[in-house]
Amino acid sequence: MSITELIEAAAHEPVTSTADGCLKCNVCNTVCPVSRVTDLFPGPKYVGPQAQRFRLAPGSPPQAGSVMPVLSPDHTVDLCSGCGFCTNACPAGVRIAEMNSRARAQMRADRRPHLRDWLLGQPDLLGRVGVPLAPLANAALRNRAARWVGETLVGVHRHAPLPTFSRRSFRTRWSRSRGRRLRAPGSADPERSVVYFHGCAANYYEPEVAEAAISVLERNGLEVIVPQQVCCGLPLISNGLYAQARARARHNLTTLATFARAGFRIVGTSTSCTHTLKAEYREMLDLDDEDARAVSGATWDICELLLDLHERDRLDTRFGRSDRHLPYHPPCQLRSHGIGLPALDLLALVPGLDAVDLDLDCCGVAGTYGLKREKYDIAMAVGQPLFRKLRESGADEAACDSETCRWHIAKATGIRVRHPVQILAAAYVAYAAAEAEAAGAPSDG
Amino acid sequence: MPSADAVVVGAGLAGLSATLALAEAGARVHLLAKGHASTHWASGGLDVAALPRAVTVREAVARLADDARHPYAILSDALPPALEWIRGMLQHEGLPYVGTIDGPVVPVPTSIGATRPAAILPAAQAAALRPWEPGERLVVCGPGGFKDYWPHAIARGLRRAGAWWGSAGPERVDPLVVELPGVRDRLNLDAIELARLFEEPGWRWDAFAAIRRALIIGGLDGPGRMALPAVLGLDDHAAVLAEATSELPLEPFEVPLMPPSVPGLRLYRALRAAIVRAGGRVQIGQAVVRIGVRDGRVVEVAMEAAARQFVVRTDMLIMATGGIAGGGLVGHPDGTLREPLLDLPVEAPPAMSWLAREPLAAGGHPLEAAGIRSDAELRPVDASGRPAGPAGVRICGSLLAGQRYLRERCGDGVAVASGWLAAGAHRPSAPRRDAPQSLAGEVAG
Repeated sequence: MSITELIEAAAHEPVTSTADGCLKCNVCNTVCPVSRVTDLFPGPKYVGPQAQRFRLAPGSPPQAGSVMPVLSPDHTVDLCSGCGFCTNACPAGVRIAEMNSRARAQMRADRRPHLRDWLLGQPDLLGRVGVPLAPLANAALRNRAARWVGETLVGVHRHAPLPTFSRRSFRTRWSRSRGRRLRAPGSADPERSVVYFHGCAANYYEPEVAEAAISVLERNGLEVIVPQQVCCGLPLISNGLYAQARARARHNLTTLATFARAGFRIVGTSTSCTHTLKAEYREMLDLDDEDARAVSGATWDICELLLDLHERDRLDTRFGRSDRHLPYHPPCQLRSHGIGLPALDLLALVPGLDAVDLDLDCCGVAGTYGLKREKYDIAMAVGQPLFRKLRESGADEAACDSETCRWHIAKATGIRVRHPVQILAAAYVAYAAAEAEAAGAPSDG
Repeated sequence: MPSADAVVVGAGLAGLSATLALAEAGARVHLLAKGHASTHWASGGLDVAALPRAVTVREAVARLADDARHPYAILSDALPPALEWIRGMLQHEGLPYVGTIDGPVVPVPTSIGATRPAAILPAAQAAALRPWEPGERLVVCGPGGFKDYWPHAIARGLRRAGAWWGSAGPERVDPLVVELPGVRDRLNLDAIELARLFEEPGWRWDAFAAIRRALIIGGLDGPGRMALPAVLGLDDHAAVLAEATSELPLEPFEVPLMPPSVPGLRLYRALRAAIVRAGGRVQIGQAVVRIGVRDGRVVEVAMEAAARQFVVRTDMLIMATGGIAGGGLVGHPDGTLREPLLDLPVEAPPAMSWLAREPLAAGGHPLEAAGIRSDAELRPVDASGRPAGPAGVRICGSLLAGQRYLRERCGDGVAVASGWLAAGAHRPSAPRRDAPQSLAGEVAG
C-alpha cells in the first residue's frame, strides 16, 4: 500500500483518524471508570490515541520481515470496557472507545477466538440451547460446583451476574398468544404500527420486558410487528469478533431495511441493541450502505419513542398513582445514543413517582466484560459508588434501561431493577384498576 | 423532541454558571456540550482580574471596565453578586473558596516554580494567599516518582529574585521529596491517581506520617507552610484537606498542576452536582450543530446523536461556546474568524495582524480580544451596535469580545458574571407565558 493510499484509507476511516485531534489534555483519563479502579489499565489516552499511531491500518498487509505479528502495541487495550465515557468527555472529538474496540478486533483478527468470548458473544446461541432446558440450565447456573467448573474451564466468573433462562422464549409466547404476526411491510400502516426489535435479553431471559413494552405501545394505539431477527451482534463486537458480528448485522439489515424503507419505526427495549442498529453497524462494522443508513434512521429506543409521542401529544398519560422514590441509572449505552434521559422524563409523568437520576458513571459490567474471570473484580470495583448510593437510597426498586446493567446491579445490591417501560406498564394497569374500583364503589368518592 | 425554557451550549465555567442559575430559578434547562471544557485544565481558582499596579481585584476590574469595549464595562455591576452567589453554591457543595475582590492580589506559587497573581482561591489553596511573616519558611513537598511536580526545580524557581514581585516572600524555600507508600511502583501516576490514593483513609494516614518523618529528618521545622501538589482528594476532598491540616506540622496548601486539574475537576463536579440536584440536565458528548430559527427567533437547538439529531425546543439560547481555544470561534484559511453556530459577526483584527512580531508582548496579541460583541443584556450585536442574529440569544464567557483573559486574568470573573446575568435576564419566576406545556405541569393537571 502506498503512502497516498494509506492517507486516503485513513481519511475514509472515521474512527481511527480522529486520533489526530488528540491534544493530550488528559480529560479522558479523568472519566475512565476502569483506570479509576485498577493500575493494570493505563487509561484511555494511552491505549487510545497515543497507541493508535503505532497501529497499522486495518487490512494492511503484514510488513515484510516484520517481527511483530500482532497489530496492537499495547494489549492492555483489552481492559477497556467500552463504556464510551472517554469519547463523550473528549473536547477534541476523538472517538477513543471506538478506537479501542477496533484495536481489540485487530488483535483478535488472526487468532482463533477464545471459547469463552465466542460463547459470551452469542447470547442467541446460549438462549436457543438454554430456554428448552431452562429448569436444568437455571439449576446449573445456581449450582456452585457448576459455576466453579464454568470459571475454571470457560473463564466465566463464578459470581458473574448471569440471568436465568425464561421457560419459554418471548417469541414462543408471542406467537402462541397472538398467532404468527410476521407481517409484510405492505400489509400494515407505518403510522399506526412499529417494528419491535426484542434482542436476546427480552427473548430468552426477560420476556416480561418485551410484554411490558408491547402493552405500552398498544395502549397508545400502535400495532406491534415482530419480524424475524437475530442477535444484533454487539456482544460479538465487544469481544472483538467483527466477522461474526457482520454476518448477524447483514441478516438483520436485510429484514429491517424493508420495514425502514416503507416508513416503519423500529423500536427496541435494549439500549445496547438499539445503539448497535443506530451506530455500530455503520461505524464499527463498516456496513455503511443504504440498508444500514435506512435502519439507523428508523431505529428508536423505546423511551425515546414514547417521549416523542408525548411531545406530539399522542401519549396516553393516564398513569396510576405510585408514591415512592425510584432511583434511576442511565446506562452508558444510553449516553452514547445522545438522546438525553427520556426514561426520566417519562417516569416524571407517573403521579407521585419521584424518579431521580443517580448521576454516577458506569455500573461496571459493560455487557459481557464484567462476566469474565479476569475482569469481574474490576467490574465490581467500578460499580461500588453506584451500589453504595443505591443502598443508601433505601429504595427497594430501581430503574435502568439496559439488561446487563440491571442484572449486575441487582446481583450486587439485592435491589430489584426494572426497565422503565415495565414501570410505565404497571402504572397503566394501576390506573385501570383505580378506575375500576372507583366505578365499582362510587360511595367512596 | 424535548422542550426546555433554555438551552446552554458549552460546559465551561460560563455555561455551568448560567445553567445552575437557571435551574436554581426553576427553569427547565439543558446544558449541551461536545466535551469537557476549561474547568478540567484550569487552576480551580476564580481569576477575576489582575493588572500591574492594581492592588485589589476591584481596582483591576474598575480599570478594565473603564474601557467601554471590555466585557466588564457591562458586567462590573453583576460581578460582585454573581461571585457571592457562586461561592455560596460551592460552599453548599462542600467546596468553600477564600479571598475577596477587595483583598490584595498576591503572588502564589505554581508547579513550574514561578508565581501567579491570585485573590480568590479554593480553601485548599488558602494558605498561599496569606502574607508571609518574617522568619517563615516554605517547604515544597512532593511524592517521589511523580512526574508533574518537581520540588527541587520549584524551590529553585521560588528562590529567584523577583519571584515574589519584590514583596516579602518566605524567608527560606526548601524542597522535600517524600516516598509515599507504593507510589513509586505504580504503573501510571497522574494527579487523579494520587488524589484517589489520598481518599483511602489508611493510605493517607501513612502518607502524612511519612511526610512528618521526612520533615523531622530534614530538619525542616516551623514556623512556615508547605506547598503540596493539588492532589488532596477528589470527591472526599473536604475530609482529606481537614486531615492534612491537622496532621501536618506546617500549614499545607495545594499547588495546581498540569492538566488534568484536580481542583478544576472539583469545581466542575460541585457545579454539576448542584445543577442535577436543581433539576437541570447536563448532556456532554456530541457537538451542537444547528440552531433552528423561525421568524427571527431561536426555536430549537440540535445536537449530533447516534441516528438523528437530538433536538431541544426552546426560545432561549445561551452561547458559552468559548473563544478560539474552546471552538466558539473557528479560524478559516481566508484569514477570517467565524462563529460556527449562528455565523454571528465576529469582532477580530484583520488577518495580517495575526502574525504579530511579538506574540507574547506585554500589550497582548491582537487576536486575544476577538469575540462576539454584545449589548448590556448580552445579546449579540454587530460592529455598529445593531442587533445581530436571531432573538433569544445571549453570549457568555470567553466568547465575548474585548477581553484578554490570559493577560488580564479576567476569564473566570467574566464567565461567572455573564453566566449569572444571562440566566437572570431570563428568570421565569412567573408561570411561563408562551412556552410549550411543561412535562411536570401536565402531571399535576
